[in-house]
Amino acid sequence: MIELITTAESYQQAEALLDAGADTLYVGGHPFGLRLPNPLSIEEIGKIVTYAHRRGKKVTVACNALMHNEQIEKLPLYLTRLAELEVDTITIGDPGAIFVLKELQLPLKFFYDAGTLVTSAEQIAFWIGQGASGAVAARELTLKELIAMQQKLEQPIEVQVYGPTCIHQSGRPLLTNYYHYTGSDGPVTKDQGLYLRDPKNEESQYPIFEDEDGTHIFSTEDLSLMGQLKVMHEQGLNTWKLDGVLLHGEAFVRVAALFHEARLAIESGAFVPESFCNRLAKLQPEHRPLGTGFYMKNPEDVH
Amino acid sequence: MMNMIEKKPEVLAPAGNLEKLKMAIRYGADAVYIGGQAFGLRSRAGNFTYEEMTEGVTFAHDRGAKVYVAANMVTHEGDAKGADVFFKTLKDIRVDAVIVSDPALIVVCANAAPGLPIHLSTQASATNYKTLEFWKSMGLERVVLAREVGIEEIREMRRHTDIEIEAFVHGAMCIAYSGRCTLSNHMVNRDANRGGCAQSCRWKYDLFEMDGGKEESLLRDDEPFSMSAVDLSMLHHLPDMIDAGVNSLKIEGRMKSIHYVSTVANVYRNVVDAYCSDPEHFTFDPAWDEEIWKVAQRDLSTGFYYGVPTEKEQLFGKVRKIPKYTFAAQVLDYNPDTHIATLEQRNNFGVGEEVEFYGPGFAHFKQTVRDLWNEDGEPIDRAPNPMMTVTMTVDAAVEPYFLMRKK
Repeated sequence: MIELITTAESYQQAEALLDAGADTLYVGGHPFGLRLPNPLSIEEIGKIVTYAHRRGKKVTVACNALMHNEQIEKLPLYLTRLAELEVDTITIGDPGAIFVLKELQLPLKFFYDAGTLVTSAEQIAFWIGQGASGAVAARELTLKELIAMQQKLEQPIEVQVYGPTCIHQSGRPLLTNYYHYTGSDGPVTKDQGLYLRDPKNEESQYPIFEDEDGTHIFSTEDLSLMGQLKVMHEQGLNTWKLDGVLLHGEAFVRVAALFHEARLAIESGAFVPESFCNRLAKLQPEHRPLGTGFYMKNPEDVH
Repeated sequence: MMNMIEKKPEVLAPAGNLEKLKMAIRYGADAVYIGGQAFGLRSRAGNFTYEEMTEGVTFAHDRGAKVYVAANMVTHEGDAKGADVFFKTLKDIRVDAVIVSDPALIVVCANAAPGLPIHLSTQASATNYKTLEFWKSMGLERVVLAREVGIEEIREMRRHTDIEIEAFVHGAMCIAYSGRCTLSNHMVNRDANRGGCAQSCRWKYDLFEMDGGKEESLLRDDEPFSMSAVDLSMLHHLPDMIDAGVNSLKIEGRMKSIHYVSTVANVYRNVVDAYCSDPEHFTFDPAWDEEIWKVAQRDLSTGFYYGVPTEKEQLFGKVRKIPKYTFAAQVLDYNPDTHIATLEQRNNFGVGEEVEFYGPGFAHFKQTVRDLWNEDGEPIDRAPNPMMTVTMTVDAAVEPYFLMRKK
C-alpha cells in the first residue's frame, strides 16, 4: 500500500488535497514544527484532524524542531492537546521530545525526522527502539541507499518524492544581519521570493528566508521522483511525501493530484513515467527547475 | 575569605597530531580530543594511527590528562563497517572517551566496548535539558552542547540534569546548526557530515528577489551576501561559563597549528586557574587578551551565549587585518650558565629581529635576536632552513618546549 503524504497550509487546501487523493496531511505550527507552508494554530489543526478522520484519512503533525529549553517546557501541553485531538502521527527530530513523550505516556505515534541526520537503517533501528514507528529519510541519500535501508527494516521509511529540500538551517537571522551591515532593511520572509546565487554557478538559485527558527536555505531544484516511483514501489519504498513549503494553493494541489494518479497507474500496472514526468513539468513553476537531487547519484559520487 | 572552586572545569584542547597533543598538554590542557583513521569529521587533519594514539594516551595519562577520540561522522549504509573493532581497540588503548553523534555508532560502541565513555558530539545539536536527559538515559556520560545555546539556558540545564556538560569556548564556528548544513553536499558533492565540508558558508553570494519572473538584486553597496561567522571567544566570560556549571571548556581547532594550540591552551589554563583559586577577587588580566589576539585568525565574539548574534558577529566587508605572529622556533635546550638556548627552527628568522618566547604557565618575554650560531658553532645571520638546529643568547631563562614567535 502506497501512502501519499502532503503538506497542507490551510483547512481549504486540506479539503482539496484529500479530494486530490492524499492519504495523510502534514501540518504543524510554531514553535514546534519546522519549515511549514503555513504554520497553523492548534485549533486549525484540530479542525483539519476532525475533517480528515471523517473522511477516513490521517494527519501527521510536525514536532520536528530543534528545541531550546523554552520550547521543551511548552511541549507537554502541546503534545497532550495533539493526543486529545487523536492526531495519527507526529514527527520528532529532537531526542528531548522523545523523552517528554515517554514521560507523558501519551498514545501518540511518531516518526523520527532529523532532516539530514537520518542516513542508515541502523540509525532508524535505534529510533524505533526508542518508540518510533518509522523515519523520514535524509534528502542527501541515493535511491540505492534508500532501497538497501528499507530492505533491512519492517517499519516504513518516508521519502520525499516532491518539493524543495532544506540544505541549511542557521539559528541566526542571516538576511537581517546582511541588511543591517549595509545600514538598511529588506525582505526576509518566506513568501517574498528571496534567493541566493553562487556566482560561480549561474544556474544556482537557492530559496532563502527567515522565520522564528532562524534562517533556512533550500536547494535550487524541486526534488521529483516521479520517474522513479515504480522502482520505489517495487523495492518497498511506499511512503511518499510531497512538500509544498514553497508552492501554495491550487498549484500544489494539482501536483498532489498528479502523484495520486501516478500511484493509481502503478498499482494497476499502467504507469508510463515519461508521460507523468512531462505532465509534472507543465505544472511546475517556471523559476523552479525539477531534479532528482542525490537520488540518482551513486553513493560513491558523494564523499 | 578565600572561596576556592574545588571542582575546576576541564580545559579541553584540540590535537591534530601527536606533537600537538603533547604540546597542548604541556601548555595546560586537562584533556585533548583527537581523530582516528576513520569515523571522524576532519578527513584533512593529521589523524592518529593506533600506535600514535597509544603513545598519546600514555603521555597524557602520565601527566594526569585525558584523551578523547572524535568519531562524529554521520554514517551511511556500510560506513559503520569496522566500527566495532575501532571502538574496542580504543578501549584497549585506554582512550578516556569517544565523541559520537550518530546513534548507530553509539550502539556499536556500547556493544563492542562496554565501559568506554561516550560523549555526544555538538553535531547532534543538543539544545535543551530533556535532550540531555535522553542521552543520559542512553548511558552517555557527557553532552557537547550545540553552539546555539545561551548562558542562561546552560544554567537552566544544570538545574535539571547532572550529566556532564561540555561547551565550546574558543575557535571557529559553523554558522548553521552543526550537522544541519548540507551546502557542501549540494554545491560540490561533498558530504559535510562525513568530513567533506567545503566551508561553502564562507563563500560570497548574490541575493535577489524574484518578482513576476524578473530578478531584482537585493545587494547593497556592492557588498556580497555571506554567512561567514567570526570566531568564538569566551575568554572574557569564563566565570559565567564556570558558574553556569559547564564541566568542560572546549577549544576548537584540530586543523590548527602548534603555535595556536599551545597559546590558546596556555591562556585558558591560566584564566581558569586564576578564577577558580579565588573567584571573589578575580580580575581580568589584559595580558590574556593580548596573548589570544596573537593567534586570532578572525574577529572574536561570544556567539549565542548572550543572545542571537547580529551582523557584528559575521564577516562582512573588508576583513580587518589582525597582527599575525609566526611560529619561529622551539626550544630544545637551555644552558643557565651561558644563557644560551638551543632552538629548532620552524620559520625563517635572523639577527636583529624582535622575537617573543613563551612557555607553559603563561611565561613570556620579548627580546631582539642578538646572535645566532649554526650546529657547528659558526656565527650566522639568519636561520633559513626548516628544522635546523641553532643556538642564541636569550634574555631570560627558558626550558625545553618553550616556543618562540615573531611578528
